[in-house]
Amino acid sequence: MHVNYWREVHTTGPGRIGLGLLILVVTAAVLAPLLTGYQPAAYTGAPFMAPSAQHWLGTNDVGQDIWTRLLYGARTSLAVGGGVALLSLCLSILVGCSSALLGGLYDRLMMRLVDALIVIPPVIVAILAAAYLRPNTVLLIVLLSLFLWPGGARVVRAQTLSLKERMPVYAARTFGAGRLHLLFNHIIPDLGPILIALIIQDARRAVFMEAGLSFLGICDPTVVSWGKMMQHALKFVYLDVWRWWLLPTGFTLSLTVMGFTFTGFALETALNPRLRKEAGHADN
Amino acid sequence: MLTIKNLKASYNGLQILKDINLNLEKGQVLSVIGESGTGKTTLGRAVMGLLEGRCTGEILFKGKNLLTCPEEERRRIRGREIAMVFQNVEDGLHPLYSILYQVMEAVLIHGLTDKKAAEKRACEVLELVGLDNRRSLAYPHQLSGGEKQRALIALAVVNNPDILILDEPTASLDALTKAEIIAVLRRITREKASLVITHDISTAADLSTHMAVLYGGRIVELGATGDMLTGPRHAYTRGLLRSYPNMTTTKDLQGIPGRMSHHVEGCPFHPRCTQRIRICSAEAPLPAVEGNRLIACHRGGIVPLLEVRCSKSFGPLKVLQDVECILHEGETLALIGESGSGKTTLAKTVMGLLKADEEEIRLEGKKVTRRTIDFYKRIQMIFQNPGESISHRMNVLQTVKEPLDIHKTGNEEEKLERVRQVLNEVELPGDDAFLKKYPHHLSGGEAQRVAIARALVLNPKVLIADESTSALDASVQAKILKLMMNLQEKRGLSIMFITHDLALAKKISDRLAVLLKGRIVEEGPTSEIIYHPLHPYTRALIDYAPLLEDRSARPAGSRWARRTHSGTCGNSLQAAPRLKRPPSATSTGCPYANRCLAVKDRCLEERPELIACSPRKVACFYPPVDYKIQSN
Repeated sequence: MHVNYWREVHTTGPGRIGLGLLILVVTAAVLAPLLTGYQPAAYTGAPFMAPSAQHWLGTNDVGQDIWTRLLYGARTSLAVGGGVALLSLCLSILVGCSSALLGGLYDRLMMRLVDALIVIPPVIVAILAAAYLRPNTVLLIVLLSLFLWPGGARVVRAQTLSLKERMPVYAARTFGAGRLHLLFNHIIPDLGPILIALIIQDARRAVFMEAGLSFLGICDPTVVSWGKMMQHALKFVYLDVWRWWLLPTGFTLSLTVMGFTFTGFALETALNPRLRKEAGHADN
Repeated sequence: MLTIKNLKASYNGLQILKDINLNLEKGQVLSVIGESGTGKTTLGRAVMGLLEGRCTGEILFKGKNLLTCPEEERRRIRGREIAMVFQNVEDGLHPLYSILYQVMEAVLIHGLTDKKAAEKRACEVLELVGLDNRRSLAYPHQLSGGEKQRALIALAVVNNPDILILDEPTASLDALTKAEIIAVLRRITREKASLVITHDISTAADLSTHMAVLYGGRIVELGATGDMLTGPRHAYTRGLLRSYPNMTTTKDLQGIPGRMSHHVEGCPFHPRCTQRIRICSAEAPLPAVEGNRLIACHRGGIVPLLEVRCSKSFGPLKVLQDVECILHEGETLALIGESGSGKTTLAKTVMGLLKADEEEIRLEGKKVTRRTIDFYKRIQMIFQNPGESISHRMNVLQTVKEPLDIHKTGNEEEKLERVRQVLNEVELPGDDAFLKKYPHHLSGGEAQRVAIARALVLNPKVLIADESTSALDASVQAKILKLMMNLQEKRGLSIMFITHDLALAKKISDRLAVLLKGRIVEEGPTSEIIYHPLHPYTRALIDYAPLLEDRSARPAGSRWARRTHSGTCGNSLQAAPRLKRPPSATSTGCPYANRCLAVKDRCLEERPELIACSPRKVACFYPPVDYKIQSN
């Protein structure tokens, strides 16, 4: 009856890879000051130095240590990813649950809003908004969240619609429980696994979109970002530097996104009993 | 003929009778029933003037107050105009004289001097009560119990008194002797005014025209015997009837909680009453006329707790059509019907889980417009499948505590205490190990008990049980039902029991409502409906209710063949004639018309309304002819 999601995830192949990658990136981000002696913005040496014992991945056009920037870039990526995931999840729950529980006109209006938001291309709006307002990390998180919540809201609403027809919810209603009690004591606990899956998915998309937007120049100029690093590196592809500037950055971004993807995939397998059976974990 | 006004009697300062008011006319037989110690015999003796204690008030016999009349006068009346058949046959007769002599003595005392005439009269009376000449010469020790009882009756009636008081005339007699004695008494009491004092309700039912229920020295209910038996209105009367084993009622025996005490302020019954309110302990209720009854109760007798009238449709499908039912305090109403008849919809609509198209719900007499948190405090529901209705994320403690959390009653410690208490009530352990169990650790019976505990934790008065035991084994079901019946006895829980199992309903319900396609087609006291079903649908349900008998050993058509109430043996549903034009689902006719054996044209065109057919209601144009339909 109770699926141990943790065990389900970390015993499958993709789950292990995904979690491993995520743990690696998170550790690197958290322990950044220990893994490098430099500050990301400091000019530490001559420009375009090749990798050496002092500069593991060499230096960039203005002599900043690339390894250091890579580590601190992970912080930005994860901060945006985590922030967006949490904020958009909150919005998804708020709109999804309230629509399902209240129903009626409110439900229909909200779902049409969701439909409308899903068809708006996020990048263009983000560019326009960032151009209008001064781009910074918090603004980016809010903007991305505004684009990512509708998908989650749909999932949450659908699940809540099914959960609210369950007997324990009916039973709680016969004790006189209000909607908030139902939400916090019966619906959200049962939404748990789906919410985790949503968080992972939102985080993955957020990391990717943050990199993309900063590649296009929509970012806080004072903050180190992988997207921005790649964009800078691309300007110097005629030199050899791209090998230790562009490639490692691209790889790190890909590995982070892959980490999220694999974890999400493993979670989905664990959540869906039918997939679980195919994966040979039915009797676990 | 005999009027008792404000009669009070006491022994050594202990008041046994308090404000008795009675009126007895010629031809009436009034039975006084009640538990032992309620003052029944005292009442009889007071009328006879044989009471050792103090008596105040008035006993008017032919306009004369017996309590103030001189002893001389009383002696003349006693035995001649008012006679009593004493309780305890062993002590009533003198062992040294023959029966005939003792009866003769009674005649001679009251003025008849001619011995021959007295003997003739005595013989006549003995003959009348069923003792022939030979037996009448016998001595008491030579007679059987029944014969002694007859002799005592002869002793009392030999002077042809106007008023006959019978004190436990059938106690300690076997059933056949009892029947004979009752037959004798019926003949004798026809021309007299009689007072039958008994704890044996069947004797009272057989003999009396009216019935008075005595409790703690007060008359708590008085009315015509038939009415009282089918519809007791005082909680004590109902308790007495429920605890009396008999062949008429079908519900399992239930007692009355607590025990009787004479030192009670206010209503004598209130310590044992499950519907008491504050005033009950403060002052004694005065008898008041309620319909055709006299009831002494501050609440006017058993109160209707839940009155429901609702309609509900899902799209074009009318699931409930003007269903009306009343649930009284401490009573079980069984809602019977096949699946799809709207039973669960009714339960959910009452609980507010479904929105009715039209509804009028009264809880304790107050109209319910919005289902507030207080509504749910009074009325709770038990769902069909305990495994489903208990959240798999909650352990026993959390599950049972949830209603308390919602209602914000007390702090955590008090809640825990209450949870343990209610678990104890449903016979589950309240220890920490059990409290930490999750639903999938529990057996079906345990889980259902937890669900019941959860429904009871708020102390509701009404419990709606929707097929609550159908998922359980018969043995577990029996335990759960016992539990519910005990709770009903203890705290006056009203239960609306929704089931498709008629045999089950028969055992646990006081009243039965038969639901067919969202309409109630028959409703009334359970035993009445089970033994004399009027609606053909009810009859079909009864015919197919579970039996425990080997039908192969009983050839069809024999006296012991499967009992069916529709008058046929065997499978009457298969034999049902199919109509040439089956009524469509939307037809205006009787909902049972397409399956009814006795269907007539009228049934296809018109829908029968529920009509009173005392003491039940039935919706059928052509019920069996021997029942007289009364128009209301």
